Amino acid sequence: MISFNQVTKRYPGGHEALSGVSLAIEQGELVFLTGHSGAGKSTLLKLIAAIERPTSGVVSVSGQSVSRLSRRAVPYLRRNIGLVFQDHKLLFDRSVIDNVVLPLDIAGFDRRESLKRARAVIDKVGLLNREKANPVSLSGGEQQRLCIARALVSRPALLLADEPTGNLDAGYAADIMAMFRDFHQVGTTLVIATHDERAITALGGRTLHLDHGRIGGVPA
Amino acid sequence: MIGWMRHHKHALGAALHRLRIQAFTALLTALAMGVAISLPSGLYLGLENLSRVAGELPAQPEISLFLNAGASAEQKQAIAARLKQPDIAQARFVPKDEALATLSASQDLADITAGLTENPLPDAWIVRPQATSRDALVGISDSLRKMPGVAETHLDSQWAERLQAALAIGHTGVWLLAGLFAIALIAISGNAIRAQVLARRDEILVSRLIGATDRHIRRPFLYLGALQGLFGGLAAGGVLAVAGTILREPVEHLAVLYGSTFHLLPPDAAEIVMVLGLTTLFGWLGAWLSVTRSLHQVEATR
Repeated sequence: MISFNQVTKRYPGGHEALSGVSLAIEQGELVFLTGHSGAGKSTLLKLIAAIERPTSGVVSVSGQSVSRLSRRAVPYLRRNIGLVFQDHKLLFDRSVIDNVVLPLDIAGFDRRESLKRARAVIDKVGLLNREKANPVSLSGGEQQRLCIARALVSRPALLLADEPTGNLDAGYAADIMAMFRDFHQVGTTLVIATHDERAITALGGRTLHLDHGRIGGVPA
Repeated sequence: MIGWMRHHKHALGAALHRLRIQAFTALLTALAMGVAISLPSGLYLGLENLSRVAGELPAQPEISLFLNAGASAEQKQAIAARLKQPDIAQARFVPKDEALATLSASQDLADITAGLTENPLPDAWIVRPQATSRDALVGISDSLRKMPGVAETHLDSQWAERLQAALAIGHTGVWLLAGLFAIALIAISGNAIRAQVLARRDEILVSRLIGATDRHIRRPFLYLGALQGLFGGLAAGGVLAVAGTILREPVEHLAVLYGSTFHLLPPDAAEIVMVLGLTTLFGWLGAWLSVTRSLHQVEATR
């Protein structure tokens, strides 16, 4: 589903975040990206979602070369990818349910259908009694679950999560990882960048270890 | 198609919501636009009304032809024959006695004419040519003046023509001014929308990340700009209505002093629709320029 062929990403200023990375991720796989801070985990995820472009090499998703995607085509690629951010990137000028409905509004769904789907996914992440609340009033773990709900509401085939449990205590982190396992079981492809060793052992799946921008593959 | 309609409905709703929660800012912007638009449109209305005054004056230009006091009977006959030519629509002879009688009839001049020992007025013809163009009129006037026995010709349309020329300059001025204020309108709208884009930077960034197209992001801002323009046009209408109410009485008073029943006319429906349409268009255009530029900036500073 995802393949990297000799991908290098050099940022302006000369810092090389990824150096000649090649990898393949199959449909339905659960993959953990590990490595120290600055090893290139976030950059790798950003390249998949076309948030960044590779300096050289080819990134392809579902057979489509992301590196050569036109600016106009990028939004349509992203609609098939759920993104979970460490800093959540929630909008605090609207309610929980309006945050979740946003991707469906963007895709042009019927409003009533959107609200139904949003409510279902909010229920799944356990926030149904908070749907009218402002995200600012949610705890860190709840905000992260809201971010996951927003990533899942459009039923993407691929979910990318960047340090989803980075700021959370162990209890919350286990909750969220359990949620990811459920999605994996229904066939979603997941790529999760994390430090959380416990989660990796609990969930199984493949681990890709990044070290200074290179894959130092530790086969699972 | 249904999705497209839904997007537009959604964008319009978002823009209206934005205007409602920032009513005061929206009001200030509308006022700034309204004052800017009211200047050229007010000038236009003034000129339209002035043109109407000019239009009520005799449309047909006349040539007054004054005979030499010593013109011979043959010369007079030749002139009368000339004035029966087909290029002359109408010619009326005014003997000097009749002219003096008319003059004496007017009260103020009766004293003066009574003191005259002989009639100082010349015989005259009031000539109305077929042609109305200025060149043709001047040509006829000149050719008549050169006839023996003619002292002078006078093209009565001159002052009306000058007025028309002045009005034409006024109209050109209106268009120039309208062009300048259209630019001002684009600038006002663009600035208002830029502030909106910056205020909603997070929403734009997040929308981008979850698959919003540029068009989707731009759309509510474009509606906002167009609505701002429309409200600006309406504000201009309000400014002009107030100005018209204030001016009506003094203008009618002045008209009465000139013995005229002239009164100010408001713009007609087509003119109102045109102004509102243009302000909406320019509001939209300003928003488009601003949002396109701002979107690139938001992207660059991601």
